[in-house]
Amino acid sequence: MAVEIAKQNWDGQVEELTIGATEEEGGTRTSTVTVGGETTLPFLHFEGEIPNKPVVALEILDEEPKDWPEPLAEVWGDVWDDPAKWAKKCVEEYGAELIALRLTSADPIGQDRSAEEIAETVEEVLDAVGVPLIILGCGDEEKDNEILKAAAEAAEGENLLIGFAEEENHSTIAAACMVHDHNVIAQSPVDMNICKQLNILLTDMKVKTNQIVIDPLVSSLGYGMEYSYSVMERIRLGALRDDDMLAMPMINFIGEEAWDVKETQASEEEKPGWGELSTRGIQWETAMGTTVLQGGADILVARHPESKENIEAGIEELMTESSYE
Amino acid sequence: MPVINFLLDSEKIEFTCDSGTNLMEAVVEAGIELKAVCGGAGSCGKCQVIVKEGEVNQLAQGSLSPDKLKQGYVLACQTEVIEDVRIEIPPESRLSEHQIFVAEEAEDEELLTEKEIQIAEKIELDPLYKRVDLELDEPTLVNNASDLDRLYTGLNQRHDWPGLTTSLSVMEDLASHLRDNNWQTQVSLALANDNYEVSELNAPDYEQPDYGIAVDIGTTTMVLELINLETGESVATSGLYNKQGRYGDDVIGRINYAKQNDDGLDKLHQAVIDTINELIDDVVNKESIDYADIKTAVFAGNTTMSHLFLGIDPNNIRLEPYIPTVNFIPPLQAEELGIKIKEEGWIHYLPGVSSFVGGDITSGVLATEIGKREEITLFIDIGTNGELVLGNQDWLITCSCSAGPAFEGGGIEYGMRAMSGAIEFFEIDEDTYEIKYSTINARPPIGVCGSGLIKLIATLNEVGIINRSGKFESDFEHERLREREYETEFVLVWEEQAGIDEDIVITENDIKNLLRSKGAIYAGIRMMLQNMSLTEDFIEEVLVAGGFGNYINIDDAKKIGLLPDLPNDKFKFVGNTSLKGAKMSLLSKEKFDQVNEIANKMTYLELSAEDQSQEFMDEFVSAQFIPHTDLSLFPSVTETNSDD
Repeated sequence: MAVEIAKQNWDGQVEELTIGATEEEGGTRTSTVTVGGETTLPFLHFEGEIPNKPVVALEILDEEPKDWPEPLAEVWGDVWDDPAKWAKKCVEEYGAELIALRLTSADPIGQDRSAEEIAETVEEVLDAVGVPLIILGCGDEEKDNEILKAAAEAAEGENLLIGFAEEENHSTIAAACMVHDHNVIAQSPVDMNICKQLNILLTDMKVKTNQIVIDPLVSSLGYGMEYSYSVMERIRLGALRDDDMLAMPMINFIGEEAWDVKETQASEEEKPGWGELSTRGIQWETAMGTTVLQGGADILVARHPESKENIEAGIEELMTESSYE
Repeated sequence: MPVINFLLDSEKIEFTCDSGTNLMEAVVEAGIELKAVCGGAGSCGKCQVIVKEGEVNQLAQGSLSPDKLKQGYVLACQTEVIEDVRIEIPPESRLSEHQIFVAEEAEDEELLTEKEIQIAEKIELDPLYKRVDLELDEPTLVNNASDLDRLYTGLNQRHDWPGLTTSLSVMEDLASHLRDNNWQTQVSLALANDNYEVSELNAPDYEQPDYGIAVDIGTTTMVLELINLETGESVATSGLYNKQGRYGDDVIGRINYAKQNDDGLDKLHQAVIDTINELIDDVVNKESIDYADIKTAVFAGNTTMSHLFLGIDPNNIRLEPYIPTVNFIPPLQAEELGIKIKEEGWIHYLPGVSSFVGGDITSGVLATEIGKREEITLFIDIGTNGELVLGNQDWLITCSCSAGPAFEGGGIEYGMRAMSGAIEFFEIDEDTYEIKYSTINARPPIGVCGSGLIKLIATLNEVGIINRSGKFESDFEHERLREREYETEFVLVWEEQAGIDEDIVITENDIKNLLRSKGAIYAGIRMMLQNMSLTEDFIEEVLVAGGFGNYINIDDAKKIGLLPDLPNDKFKFVGNTSLKGAKMSLLSKEKFDQVNEIANKMTYLELSAEDQSQEFMDEFVSAQFIPHTDLSLFPSVTETNSDD
């Protein structure tokens, strides 16, 4: 008996977005990363186009991390006091195509580094590596408005991805991204409606829809990831149903979440039933990454190179053509 | 004992009380109506009065500014009187006389002015209390039925009255009355419990008309109409604030008051009965009639009001799973409730559907005849409870979206009800940000009422002062926009032009509250539509009820996403349909029966039920945006803003 393959014809398409600019494009990057452009659900090649594969970025900080667990210290401990070296190691040793630089040293209750110092750091990292960057603030709203503005200015022409714009605090960073021609991450708290509202506010400010990346805020495996997952699915379905305000690529900070829970931090003595700490965290991060890929993630930001490798291996297989013709 | 001298606008009231008396209670006892949104909890800060002379004991200062404290402002509910004092009651703290508005504005298409529902013409007069003229056969040795049987026979010859009963007072006088009047009589029949009671006998030439009253028991305001039962005409109308206001501004506050105070329920019950009796006093005096000439009464009000009216504990109304004690209230006699009409007169309270959809809404459905139309109609009561009804002759669905009192002025710093001095219209110049406004009765502005707030939010967004989230635009700079402790506010009226001694402002928080209110209402509408698998386009007519002011601008209501984006001619402002339905029920047994059918037929959608709440929250969040997160739901509003 003949089986007809049921195909959904979608009207919408996810915006295609490029991070980084080469010399010809006015920047200094040696490579760029393009994501988005899907016209179908994740990896359903048989009923639509998936022109770009999802990308796994590695996350680095601009100061020595205080609470990163042992498995991360083992990999990065020798370079993590120097962001330029750290970035180099990501690229040269682990083949990162994209690096997320988190500017935690600006935190007013930490080192409280000034906007000028931050701008210097950004320049150093840009000099050290040729891959495009994602630049993230320290989490303090007011300070972030200052330093991200400075970072955007320092990286003018590099077409970076900068975050975060939030509903309550979006105009300064969105304006900085527009003026200096960068892409912006729009972060919303696990809520499709607020995600959409933020995108409307940004486009009302004349930010282009193909310069926005959605961060739906993913929670760790075992700590509410399913909520984020379903929100991601709804955002993607919205995009495919031709809702412009949901048709942006999505980014997930899996490393930040995965390495922040007891399961990736507790020693074997403390939790003998949980197995080896050295592999537990990597599995946790890998499991999160592979799961959100099914929800429609376009950019994953991981902390451990082995998780990155695992997820990339998965992506490789998922990007294999699966059409029935 | 300390003496308090209250200074009002022009009046002076002297009041003596025990040392340690709560000032709020003294104010109430002295007969002054003071705002008390939180019911005396000290949290709303609306009951501000000024101590001009003498010392008081302040229990708390609430959020009074240092400036005001210096001027002697105190919160009445948080103050005890110990010695002789002089207390000034500023106008903004007082509840002023309620205005009942009838449309008089221009026939502007964008304006939603009240459409009078003409009742008397529409219904066949068959009131719940009526007289029948009878001529009975004289008894003989052969025709030896009892007097009462004879009366019943006479009545049944005229009409079939199943289950006739008779009051004791009538039986006491029956024999002599019939004989004195040569077996001719006027029998008054009162609808009691599904049957009629012979409640009075009068001489055949008796001409004094019978009256009935229809009363809307609103959470905030109460309105009474005195009606001539023979002609169906409304003879007099009277309105007052519900005296329960001093124990809390909304139903939840009052339920809490009843729960938390030993005599709370009694006080609330007494307050509503007192308000009713005062309204009765007013019309009885106006028309120079006797209390006993009012033979029957029909009341309509929400479910909490019905419980407090009856003196029944309302506490379960607010506790999951939200069960009222009664929806269908049996008729009671006036004397039992202490209502000052004919003592044995029957009191009817229109039936409710659930804890948050009560007799005021079933009454509204009756008055607007939604349940008789073929077309699908949406009925919106824009009030604290935010009751909504959708349906037609085949089905009716209802829900309560708890919109909160924002459009009635609650929770808005300078929000107020539609009364004198309330700003009801704004215009903001796009370049200079100069503001033009108009107030009710053209009095100096003291606050903003519902229609003004709708216009204000729409205008602030339109001229680019607030964004779609209701936040002030970060690049907007003007002397009107300023920071106050933890708050950003925009000055609407400078002190010099205001009827109060301060600037009238709107804060970011106020705007958030308004967006929540309008979001709740729109989300409620979406939930009903979704449950019926319908879209906005299926709605043929939208009937808006609520105490707004003279008018609401439909375009602005659509612009902020309060009302669905339908053609303007589909909207009608129907005013106080609760009162109109009560009046119809009073004048027509058929209508009275219909309202019971309506209450039975209406399907209540519990928005907090497990299978609804997630969806409602979703709809609620997406509606807290100007006009909505899904801009495609408001095509006519958003097309001007689009980039292409």
